[in-house]
Amino acid sequence: MTAVQIAEWLESTSVGLWVRESLWGFSIMVAVHILGLTLSVGTLLWFDLRLLGISMTGSQVSKVYRALMPWFAVGFGVMLVSGGVLLAGFATAAFENTFFRLKMAAVCVAAVNALAYHLMTERRIAHWDHAARPPFPVRLAGLVSIAVWATAILSGRMMSYTMF
Amino acid sequence: MPALDSLLAAIETSRLATTVGQSIALTGWLSALHLIGMTVVTGGTLVSSLRLLGVLLADEPVTVVTRAAVRGVTIGLVVSLSTGFLLVSPRASAAAHAVFFQTKMALLVMAAAFHFAYYRRVAEGRLGSVWGQRLSGGLALVLWLGVAVAGSAYILLE
Repeated sequence: MTAVQIAEWLESTSVGLWVRESLWGFSIMVAVHILGLTLSVGTLLWFDLRLLGISMTGSQVSKVYRALMPWFAVGFGVMLVSGGVLLAGFATAAFENTFFRLKMAAVCVAAVNALAYHLMTERRIAHWDHAARPPFPVRLAGLVSIAVWATAILSGRMMSYTMF
Repeated sequence: MPALDSLLAAIETSRLATTVGQSIALTGWLSALHLIGMTVVTGGTLVSSLRLLGVLLADEPVTVVTRAAVRGVTIGLVVSLSTGFLLVSPRASAAAHAVFFQTKMALLVMAAAFHFAYYRRVAEGRLGSVWGQRLSGGLALVLWLGVAVAGSAYILLE
């Protein structure tokens, strides 16, 4: 299947039709997506700032992660579902939109950054868990996370001004 | 109120408002920065308020968790207020008469006043009993979440 065919299929689903044709569906889903964003990126930011040695430097990195992870995990779940619903409604326009592609690229980089941190950098956490200023690879992971999520937010907002 | 209407009209016809209103790109960037500011405010409020409520990192000293978060809320608020003013300036009159915008502004004033007058000092450990901390955390969450919801409603429904 081509991207165009996938987009057309998504738009023909009952979810896609509901988003496009219901009176409040689109607005409610956008509001849910934005509130999911504030919960997910809003709390993840404070873990990233701990990795950077800026916030909560008196607490162990692992402890901050365990405390915040449930909150940003729920937020990301809300964003994923609401984003999927919104995409189903306007997939063709989204796939053709430069800012949508940039947003998806940023989200992919965020995922790769998180995987690299958890699979490689975090393996030596016993050496720096208590450090107020963690080593460079740790700080880099925090900085990349902040940069890519800021890019995703910027691209997401620009989508709404360029898609319709 | 004639004086208010005159002020709003003056804002709408200002060079700044005209520049923003005529540029989709500028409006988009301002909107994105406004959303980033809002994310910093709500995220910082969540972290500090949940600690004050005894839900998050309850065994860590209050100020270890809340100090930077509260400063983040202040920074996010500066970003949100400045971008928000620029965004609404081209349609200041219509916004002032919109119910959701009025609600957002009322909640924003209460949230900001509470933040600067009391909450910061509680979160920085300068005053407040345990119950005072919990009430402050709960009130801050309700107010800032209210601002976020009212703001979303205004943008999407009006």
